[in-house]
Order: sequence, then structure tokens, then C-alpha cells
Amino acid sequence: MTSGGLSYDGCNFFRQRLVLSTLSGKHVRIKNIRSKDDDPGLRDFEASFIRLLDKVTNGSRIEINQTGTVLFYQPGLLYGGPVEHDCNPQRSVGYYLEALLMLAPFMKMSLKATLRGVTNDPSDPTVDLLKSTALPLMKKFGIDGEGFDLKVVKRGMAPGGGGEVVFTCPVRRTIKPVQLTDPGKIKRIRGVAYSVRVSPQMGNRIVESTRSVLNQFLPDIYIYTDHMKGLNSGKSPGFGLTLVAETLNGCFLSAEMSSTPQGQGDPVLPEDLGRNCAKLLLEEVYRGGCVDSSNQSLAVLLMTLGQQDVSKVLLGPLSPYTIEFLRHIRDFFQVMFKLEVQKPSEDERKGGDKVLLTCVGVGYSNINKTVK
Amino acid sequence: MDEKVRKQKKHQQKHSGPKAERKKQKKLGASEEEDERKRNPKAFAVQSAVRMAKTFHRAQDIKTKKHHIPVVDRTPLEPPPVVIVVVGPPKVGKSTLIRCLIKNFTRQKLGDICGPVTIVSGKKRRLTFIECTNDINTMIDLAKVADLVLMLIDASFGFEMETFEFLNICQVHGFPRIMGVLTHLDSFKNNNTLRKTKKKLKHRFWTEVYQGAKLFYLSGMVYGEYQTQEVKNLGRFICVMKFRPLVWQSSHPYVLVDRMEDLTDPENIRTNPKCDRTVSLYGYLRGAHLKNKSHIHIPGIGDFQVGSVNFLPDPCPLPDAQKKRALNEKERLLYAPMAGVGGLVYDKDAVYIDFPANHVNQHQEEVRPTTELVQSLIDTHATLDAKMAVSKVSLFSSSAILDPTDVNKQSREQEGIKEKHVWDPNIKRERRKVVFSKEDEEDDFSGSCDSEDSDQADEEDENDDDLGTYLRAECKETATGDVPPKKIQKLEKVQREVITEEPAFADSEDELENSEEDDEIWEAGYSGHSSEEELEKESVGEGSTAEKMKTQSEKESEEKEEHGALRWKDGLQQKAAEAFLRQQETVPNLRKLVYGSVVEAENSEEEEEELGGLFKVSLPQKSKKVQANALDCSHFTPDTSHNWDLEEMLNSIRDCFVTGKWEKGQDAAILLKQDEKLYGDFEDLETGIVHTSQAAEQDEAENDEENNELKDVQVKMDDEEVQKNKRLEKKRRLKEQFDTEYDDGDATYFDDLKEEMQKQAELNKAEFEDMHDDTRVQYEGFRPGMYIRVEISSLPCEFVTNFDPHYPIILGGLGSSEGNIGYLQMRLKKHRWYDRILKTRDPLIFSLGWRRFQTIPLYHIEDHNGRHRLLKYTPQHMHCGASIWGPITPQGSGFLALQSVGGTEANFRIAATGVILDLDKSVTIVKKLKLIGYPYKIFKNTCFVKGMFNTMLEVAKFEGASIRTVSGIRGQIKKALSTPLGAYRATFEDRLLMSDIVFLRSWYPVSIPQFYNPVTSLLLPPSQKDSWSGMRTLGQLKHDLGIHNNPNPDSLYKPIVRAKRHFNPLHIPKELQKALPFKSKPKQQQPKGKTPRDLQRPSVIREPHERKVAALLQALSTIHNYKKRKTHTVQHAKHKDYLQQKEKQEEAKQKRQRQARKKLYRVMGQQDQKKLRSSLKGGPKDN
Repeated sequence: MTSGGLSYDGCNFFRQRLVLSTLSGKHVRIKNIRSKDDDPGLRDFEASFIRLLDKVTNGSRIEINQTGTVLFYQPGLLYGGPVEHDCNPQRSVGYYLEALLMLAPFMKMSLKATLRGVTNDPSDPTVDLLKSTALPLMKKFGIDGEGFDLKVVKRGMAPGGGGEVVFTCPVRRTIKPVQLTDPGKIKRIRGVAYSVRVSPQMGNRIVESTRSVLNQFLPDIYIYTDHMKGLNSGKSPGFGLTLVAETLNGCFLSAEMSSTPQGQGDPVLPEDLGRNCAKLLLEEVYRGGCVDSSNQSLAVLLMTLGQQDVSKVLLGPLSPYTIEFLRHIRDFFQVMFKLEVQKPSEDERKGGDKVLLTCVGVGYSNINKTVK
Repeated sequence: MDEKVRKQKKHQQKHSGPKAERKKQKKLGASEEEDERKRNPKAFAVQSAVRMAKTFHRAQDIKTKKHHIPVVDRTPLEPPPVVIVVVGPPKVGKSTLIRCLIKNFTRQKLGDICGPVTIVSGKKRRLTFIECTNDINTMIDLAKVADLVLMLIDASFGFEMETFEFLNICQVHGFPRIMGVLTHLDSFKNNNTLRKTKKKLKHRFWTEVYQGAKLFYLSGMVYGEYQTQEVKNLGRFICVMKFRPLVWQSSHPYVLVDRMEDLTDPENIRTNPKCDRTVSLYGYLRGAHLKNKSHIHIPGIGDFQVGSVNFLPDPCPLPDAQKKRALNEKERLLYAPMAGVGGLVYDKDAVYIDFPANHVNQHQEEVRPTTELVQSLIDTHATLDAKMAVSKVSLFSSSAILDPTDVNKQSREQEGIKEKHVWDPNIKRERRKVVFSKEDEEDDFSGSCDSEDSDQADEEDENDDDLGTYLRAECKETATGDVPPKKIQKLEKVQREVITEEPAFADSEDELENSEEDDEIWEAGYSGHSSEEELEKESVGEGSTAEKMKTQSEKESEEKEEHGALRWKDGLQQKAAEAFLRQQETVPNLRKLVYGSVVEAENSEEEEEELGGLFKVSLPQKSKKVQANALDCSHFTPDTSHNWDLEEMLNSIRDCFVTGKWEKGQDAAILLKQDEKLYGDFEDLETGIVHTSQAAEQDEAENDEENNELKDVQVKMDDEEVQKNKRLEKKRRLKEQFDTEYDDGDATYFDDLKEEMQKQAELNKAEFEDMHDDTRVQYEGFRPGMYIRVEISSLPCEFVTNFDPHYPIILGGLGSSEGNIGYLQMRLKKHRWYDRILKTRDPLIFSLGWRRFQTIPLYHIEDHNGRHRLLKYTPQHMHCGASIWGPITPQGSGFLALQSVGGTEANFRIAATGVILDLDKSVTIVKKLKLIGYPYKIFKNTCFVKGMFNTMLEVAKFEGASIRTVSGIRGQIKKALSTPLGAYRATFEDRLLMSDIVFLRSWYPVSIPQFYNPVTSLLLPPSQKDSWSGMRTLGQLKHDLGIHNNPNPDSLYKPIVRAKRHFNPLHIPKELQKALPFKSKPKQQQPKGKTPRDLQRPSVIREPHERKVAALLQALSTIHNYKKRKTHTVQHAKHKDYLQQKEKQEEAKQKRQRQARKKLYRVMGQQDQKKLRSSLKGGPKDN
């Protein structure tokens, strides 16, 4: 039938395309994947991502040419259920989890995904960050209830991995429209300072230095130190910090920083890391909005897939990833967002410009769910 | 009389006792306030807790039953016309009714009702009438789009199958409002039968629709029309009717096409008459928002992608808001292009003139040629226009998609009324205005650049005419377009470059493609730079001032002048400034940054800018490839320019924290102050001190002063007002507080939900309200109520050649992934009125979603263990599962199935109905398979079985499987035997017999045939449209080809012959016999045998003499017997006589005796009386 497929060049925004293809049912062809590269074709972590996608769907068709430079993906139906996946350690679990967060509410059966691999690395959002920001965001869209959880069973730092994360998500038929236009004021800051296979003192040093920066604004700061030992500590040493600022209206802004992976680049001091991470959080607060910058695309997707009603979300400046996501949404769902810049008034001291995104949902309904 | 009026007894008032006490109390006023309940508590006591609970439950039930799930009200401000489908069997009066209703509303007469007829019925309502033919395809399609169904029933005949079929279709696809109309009531001569029939029909109709459904009676015809008053009443009913949104309709966009134009290049048709056609279809959009480039399904043809969608000015608009109650003559519009009514219609590529209603011919064929003639006239102008239009486009080194609506509006505003006489004054004023009056002007430009775009001009020619408007629209576009406010110099430069280097960009036709391509490049480039800096700049700089704007537009206009002298540029600046002001709030920059050129396509000025920006970014060609393969990461690296060690940076976000400054309305300190002002006064009850708030005191003080100083009345009045306002404010706040305290507890979940929906609906309405339609369409899609034109390329040529306006064309929008095909699992039930059961693998025609298609269903039923077992036939009165290969449709949507859509049979045509349950790619239907084997060697409980498998490998696969004999002995397969092949050893729970049959019950997965054949009934020639036939069933094929099945002789029914059974004698051992009671001993039970020979007596053979003697004796005895019998009869008769006589005598004797006795008794009685009398006499004598 004439369900027009889409065609793209290059491997950038690989996950977006496959995820949106799966949700919209349009097949997608990605060409010239690193075709000029010395090592052409799909990387291992991308192959691993495709395998994960194959595990959560039923009846999808994936064709990759010999060199791996062309990928054809015909989506099947999202199946869900218990899924176990060994993520490639080239990318952290966050890379895979971001896609699963988008797909999980639209499965046939509620998803219970066990992902193994690198839980924390500097390049991707870590599982702690997603746990503390993405989940509350999804709750605002009506994805809530029993068994909506993300648990870090084992922590595995960057090069070696060995961590384990369990993500469970219930199934929804439709998504609620939201009006998130007022983030409210930040009432508390929480955080997790984690360390594995290093001195447990590292965590405390991080906390100390972080508080020194953030105490200028708020007294209600609590940073947990999470030191995992033995079996739960993965294969590589490392430490890091995730900070989350919660506002009065239940919006979450976050920042994070991890130590450089063992054997790559200069080692960082925990004090520096704490300070820098706190500054990152301030930067995030400066950007502001109801959704923090790493979850912008998730919010945009859930707005698009809502009922045929107007949804509004106030965001900080759009990240390049989100901009590309907006374009992809137009390709796959023919939905355009109304983008309005909100400038803070003169006497207000609330950071930079914000963007108010408005859209009318497509009225997406989960066709995978079984009716009894 | 006066004495008779008695004075009534006077009422004596009680002076003591409880009643008097109560009266006294009442007089005092004490007991007045006492509650009835308190005074008489027994009367209000709970008699029975159970009954109380019951009444409460019942009240709650009734209350809850009234609740519907609240839905967001998504009806647009200007709703599309209500679709009224007039349905009924043939010759029931459908066309007449439509004609009468149209005449009622618009005072116009319509001849043949072809296609939908749209009319304005009131100030807020338009109606679209469409007639439903008797074809089941049409009935199905129209049931899906109907808002109201007028169901015509011939009362003289009664209900017909079509009526019930249609009702059932409606039930499946969401029930629209249905109103019955009884016609042919004048055929009843007898008033009594009329009344009875009405009642009967009404009640049957009620059971089908709902109790109390409206049924109209059209009592008779007057000059071939229904009675005016009755039609008027019906019209009134229609006008005020309310509709509940149906799920399918409100979640999918759809268009009931009321106009169709073929846009195919005539040359292509000439060279290849069978070539695919490009067709534009027109109609009001209904249901949900329609997005550009979405997929649609046209029932009866197939799935298509929408080429382009535009909205046109409403051909049948609602009257402007006015105070008066009725519509005047000019506002009573009628629009029915398929029936040849609708006046002049403008379009992107054509002008269509239709004859006004008064002059409409009865036959459409006669109208058409005239229209074509006019069109051909217009065509001659069009070529010139085309060139001009193209030339103009090239002047702007930009490319723009021109919006036809703007074109039309523009043209209407500008045109004179040159061809006014052509049109009917009834039709609206705007329509009269025609395109051609500005030809001279356009000629001016056309000279400059027709050579450039000759190919384009050709294209334009093909697309008929109306290029003058095209051109003008562009003028307007430039005028109204957005003016980009930022990075002027840079863009300037780039623009020039573009103009010199890339003339191709000027091509307006290829604009879309180009811009799309470039867009990608640009996008890649942008993301490559990973430029939040740029982003930041853009977002910061977007609020540029109007001066900037002006300079920009000036420069641009200069540029334009370089390329050609343009007259219309006068006042461009001003227009541009206006446009900017209008669109300032939309801030196109960010939008442009994200969505690039395609969005801005309509605004040519922006286009230029955009193009510049585009060119600039695409310059680093290398970066594109690099960025296309960059790291896929959602991290947003922070802006390095911010130094968070600086105090000013820290200060810039202070207010984001609760410790920062609050807004006026939320600041705790201010709120507290306000509260004090309002609630500050209170009296300390313990101490008795009255506290007054400082504010109040101040106020009072002030007031005093004022009073003292100014005795002016005016001031006093003001003062009072202030006081009053204050009081009101206080009251309001108290009320608010009260509400928050008490109302929330009372509000139910349902109320909350309803309120939420209400809020959402308001937001939906308000969000895009003040936006221009062009931009609004991009965000929302085309909203329901718009009159749109949908262009579809590659429609089969039969659609055009076999076009028949009597058959409705529906464009049904498809949701995401509804365009795919897959496996569907559904619950199905054979319709109880369908007289046959359905067979698995017989093709069946489904109506599901928008679609009608033929597919091969497999029926199955779920066993207790969740296994889906294949069924050969549908069960009679039960639901079963069905699986098909068909279009993906959301779960929960209903469907109906037919065996054939061709022809009209007497029987009920709807074979089955049901609902989609699941869409699963993997199919789990299994079929039972019994493998049979025979034992060939039997040991104790072990035996060897052969004939079940063919090889050892097969056996190996089934090792451990449980098997069973027909007699019920269970066992297990153990191991394969080497010889014979396929034999195996098995153990059983008991010893088998050689005559036993062993079987293994297994389940074999069945695959669903991937057969999906859309019903293409609209492509058939007009006369055969209702005779579509698809794949035939096996039975039909055999019947048609005359093939007779050779059945398996074992399966045939034969007379049952039962061989006589012989049983062996029962042998009882001697010992047992001894123990038996005598009666049960076998000896006694045995029947008596023959007498032994020695006991048999020989038969006597007589001598002749003896024989004679015996014969004589025989004869003698016979005679004797005869005589004896004779005498006996005589004797018997005599005796009878004798008995009779004796009886008579006896009777006489009795009689005599009775009389004698009577005499005697009388005498005795007399004597007794005498005696008594004498004794009585004697007594007194003695005295």
C-alpha cells in the first residue's frame, strides 16, 4: 500500500529516525552511513540498538547491505514484555534507554527491560539523570501507575561497563495533552554522587564542593552519596554526580558530570567535578523551561502523540538534537510546532530566553494494545 | 324553611391538654421554628435500613446512568454542513423529499439530484443533502459519513430489507441520528388501517433505533410534491437537531466530495487514453484536522497520498452575523456543482461557470458542453496570463508556492464587474467578479520574461487558466509576507549571490523540491555547526524593530526594481510593515530555523531571506557529509560564554529559586498584607478586645478627615463607591475561600473530568484563533469546516471515464500507520438474520474503517488453555474469533461482512458483524491433526505401532508424545524401531488389542492467506457500479464451472446394515449350578424340548369302513349339532317372550298392589284424623 517511506542520509540522529518510524509505521531507508569513512557502515553500538529494537518489536524487517552503509527498516508492532539486552559498551545504557522511554508506553504488553552495559559515561545522559527527570516528565503525560520504574541494579562505569538497569513501564492507549507553561520556582536540589571501585571518600568530596556553589541560592540541598561495592560495582573505576533541581510546579532540571573513563584523557579531581557540575546546573537553570535540555525531544514527542488537542510546553533554548527532532516529527507525523520566544521582562532575573512550544496532537492511539 | 336550617354545633376549643399547650406555644412563637422532623421524629425514623440502602442505590444508579464519558468538544467555530443522507428503497420518494426540502429552504427548484447538495438553512447551520441509492456499497459509504439519516419508509408496503440493512450498517459504524419518514400514506383509504399501520411501523422502528425515535409522516402528494406544511415541519426539526460526535468520525478527517475536476494533461490522454489521471476533488472538510501529504482512502477506489491540499473560499458561506432573525433571499444559498448548481467557482487553475438554479436543465449532459465552451474561451486568455505570471515570478529571485485562496480573494477584491450579467443575482456578489479585467496591466510585465519560462507557461496551459489571478496573488504575497528582521547585511550579500548564481531558484514550480533539498543541506550544516551560539543569537535577535524592517524591505524593493519595473510595488513598504506587525508575535525566525523554507513558502519576501540564509549555510559543502554522520547524542553542550563564577551571572538567575523575588500575585509578603487588609478586623473573644487592622483604621481616619474637610456630595458619593467596592471585594474573597473549602470536597471525579475537558476545549479554540488561516493551516492542518481542494495524482482513468455523480465520493483520512496492511484479529458473529453459516477460507467482503475490501478470513475459537483452534464454520449463535490479512485499523473499531456486494438479493445481505480486537504480526491459530497408527505386535503393556510415521527421524521428533487408542487407553511414544520404517515402541496403561487404532493428537499452525482486494466499485461503468464481484468462493466456482466434487466414499451416508449377532451359549460350571436356587438352575430355565421318539405316539390310519363310519358319525353329529342349536335358539326366543309377559304381569300386579295400598292408607289416615278430631272435641267438652 501507499504508506510512503522516508529516506535519509548519514547515521546522525539514527535513533530518532528509527523510533519515529516505529511509532508512525512508516518505513525508513538510511543511506550513506559513514560511506566516506575509513571504517564504513554501522558501528557496533548501532547494530546493538537495532537488535534491541528487533527485540521489542514483532514483525519488523531490517535490511542492511554488505558494507553496512545502507539500512532499510520496516517497522513491526511494538510487543514489549520482558526484554533482556546486552548493550554495547561503546555507548552507555542511556543511549538505548532514551529510545525505550519513547517507545515503552505504546507496547502491546508492559515493558520490562533489563539492560546491561555502561550505566554512566560522559557522552550520553546517564541512567540516574533519566530516572530523576524523564520519568516525572512522562508522568505529566499520563504515563503513570504501577510498575513505572527505572532501577539501577548494578553500576558500570565507562570503558568496562558491567552495570545493569531494569526499566519497567506500563502501557497506555492514549497520551494526555499537557500545559506546562509555568515552571515555578526551584524549591529544592537533590543529587546523587556515585563512585565505584574508588575510595568511598570521593562522594563526600564531590558533595562538599557542589554545596559550596549551590548554597548561594538555596538551603534545601541534599546530595546522596552512592558507593557501590563488590558485584554491583561493574568493571571500571569512576565517579560522577547528577544534580536535579525540583520546582514548585513539579518540573525537574538536571545536570550531570562523570569522571573521564579510565585510560582516556586527564583524570579529574572530584572537587572540580562537583563545582563544574553545579555550574552546569546553574547553566541549566539559566536556560530554564519546564523540561530540561536532555528531555526536550521526549516532551516534544509526547506532545505530538497526544490527543487532538493543544499542548503547550515552555522550554529553554532548543538543543540541536531537539531541532532535528522537530524536523523529523514534521516528516513522520506532519506536525509543526508553533515556536514562540518568551523574553524575560527587565526586572526579572530568570535566566535567558525561553521558547514556548505549542502543537496540536495527532490523536495517536496505541494500536498495539490488545482489547479484550 | 327557616326553621329547618339547623344551627351547627360550634367547635369547642380545647383549653387544656397537649393540643392546647401546643397552640399556646405557637402563639408565643416558640414552636414555629421547630422542625417537622424534630417534632415528629417517629414519622421520619428509619424504618428499614435495607430499604433505605436500596432507595439510595437506585437514586445513585439513575444518576450515574445519565453520565457519558466526557469528551473534548472539538467542533470548530464554523462547523461544516450537516450531512443528511436520505435513504430508502427505490421508489419511496427520496428525490422528491430532497427536492421539497431544498425548495423549502432556498425557494429553488432542482431537477435531478446528482451528488451532494449544500444549502444554507439558517444563520448557524448549513445542510448537505445526499441521496443514497439502493446499492449496498453506497449505503455503507454514506453510513460512515452521515450526521443525520432520513430513513424513508413506504408505509403502503411496510419495511423493506434495505431499511434493516442500513440500520445494521449504522449500528456497526457508529450510530448517526436517524429520523424515520413514512411516505405513501395517501394510499390508505381506510382511516383505521392507516392508524394501525402507523402504530405498527412506529413500534418496529423504535425497537431498531431507540424508544421514542422521531418518525415523520408525510401524508400525501400535492402536484407531485409533499405538503408544504409537513416539509416545513421536517425542515424545522432538522434545523434544531443536535448531534453527538461519533468516535470514528471525530478522529479522522473526511471529505464528502461535491465537485470533481480532471486536471490531466489532454495530450497525455490523447496519446494514452488509459493513463493515470490527476484529479482535484473539492468538498467541506469534516471530522478531524487534515494534514498535508497525509494518506487518504477513497472507498471504492483505493489508497492514495494527497498531492496537495488548499483551502478555498467557502462557496456556500454562512450569512454574516446580523441581528435579524430570518435569512434574506440572497443568503439562502444553494451549492451543488454535481447537479450543475453553484454559479461561478474560482480555483487554482480554472474558472468554472455553472448555470444558476432557475435555468438548470433537467439533464446534466446538456449543461456540460456549455460550461466547456466558456472554459475554452477562458483558456485563450490563460496562456497570456501564464506567461505573465511566470515572468513575474522570475523577477523575485525567490520561489513561492502560491495559495489559490489568496489568489481568489485578491482577485475578487480587485476585479471590476465586467461580466456581471453572466451570473445569477442570487449567487453571491463575490462570485460575479471575474479575472480578466486587468489584462492590459499584466501585458506590461509579460513581455519581459516569457522567454525564460516557456516550459512553465506550458504547464500552466495544461492546468487550464486563471493565471491572471496567479500573478496578482503573488503581488499580494509579497505585500503581506513576513519581513525578516535580522542579519540584514549578511543576507543582503547572499541574496545577490543567489540572484546571480542561481536563477533556478526563481522557478516557482520547482520551488518545493528545491527548497526541500536545500533545506536538508542547510539542516545538516546547521546541526554540524552545533551552533547554539547561532541559535542563541537568533532567538535573541528575533525581536527586531520595525525600522530595521523598513530598511530591509526598502532594500528588497530596490532589488526588485533592478530586475523589472513593477507598478504594484507602490505602497509595498507600508504593506510590508503592516504584515510585519501582524505576524510579529509569531516570530518566524525560530520557526524558520527549525522548519526551514517549506513553511515559509507562501511568503515570498521571507522566501528571499530564507533563500539567502540557506545559501550561506550550505556553502561549506564538506561539513554536510561530516555532520550527517556525526555522533548521535542528545547532550546539549553548555554555552561556554557564561562564566558562573561572576556575580552578575549568578544574579541573572536569582529569581528562579524560591529564595528569589516573587511575582506580585504570589509574593508572600504582599499577600499577607492584603489578607490583613481584608481579614484584619477580629474580636478576641477571650479578652473582648476588638482588633482593627491598621489599614482600616487609616481608612477610617482618612474618611473622617474627608468628611470634615469636604462636605461636597460628589465626594461623598465617591467615597461610598469606594466603600462599596471594598465590601464587594471582601465578599468575593470570602466567597472564594468558602468555595475552596467546601466545594472541592463535593466535586466528583466526573465533575473534575468534565471541567478539565471544558478547559481543554477552550484552549483549543483560543490558541490559534487570531492567526491568519495560511499560517494556522500549517500548525493545525486544515480544520474541519474549511472548503478544501485536494489534488490527487495517479487516479485510475476509470474513475474519470466512469464517473457518476449519483455515487458518493468520500475522501477518508487515515491515521498514522493506518495505511499499512497486516494481520488483524477480530471478534465476529454471524448475523442472526443471515440464513447461512460462513466457511473458513471463503472470501468475504469486509467494511472496516473507511475501507471495503475482500479478504479471506479464518475462523477460530479460544480453548480453555488459550489455544486458538481453527473452526471450519462459524458457530450459529455465538461469537467466534476471526483473523484476516487487511488494513491496520485501531482496535475497537467495528466492521461488517458481506458475501457479495453485487446485485440485490431478496435475503438479508449482511453476513456477519464484529469488532477488531488486536493487531498482531504473529498468528497463533492452530488446527487439530490426528496421526493414526496400528499396533502390529503386542506384549503386555508395550506394543509396536506402525503406519503413523514414515521415517525414524519423524519418530525421534515425537518421542515422549502422548498417544491414545480409540478405546481410550493412554500411552506414550518411547523409541523408534529400525524396521519397518516409521514404526515405534510405545507403552500403554493397559494391554492393547490388535483391533485397536492408536492416534496422536497434534496441533498444526495455520497461516492466514495474504489476500487483500479493495472493492473498486467506483471504477466500474455507471450501469455496472452495483455489480462488483471479486474472488469467488469455492462453492461458487464449482457451481459456475459445473464441477462436481467426488466425495470420499467413506464420507458418504449409506444405509446402515447390521449383521445378526450370534452369542455363544452361557456356560455355567457345575459347581455353580449346584449353588444356584432351584428356580435359577439352568435345567429349569431351559425350554421344554421335543418329546423323545419312544414317547411319541404313532398317528392312526383308518380303514375305509372306519373312515365311512367316522364320516357318517361326523355328518350325524353335525346334523345333531345343528338341530340342537336351532332348538336352542327357539327355546331362547320363547323364554324371552315368557320373560316379557311375566314382567308385564308383575308390573300390573305391582300397580294393583300400590293402588290398594293407597286406598288402605287413605282410609287409615282418615280414621286417624277422625280420631284426633274427636279427641280434640272431647277435651273441651270435658272442660
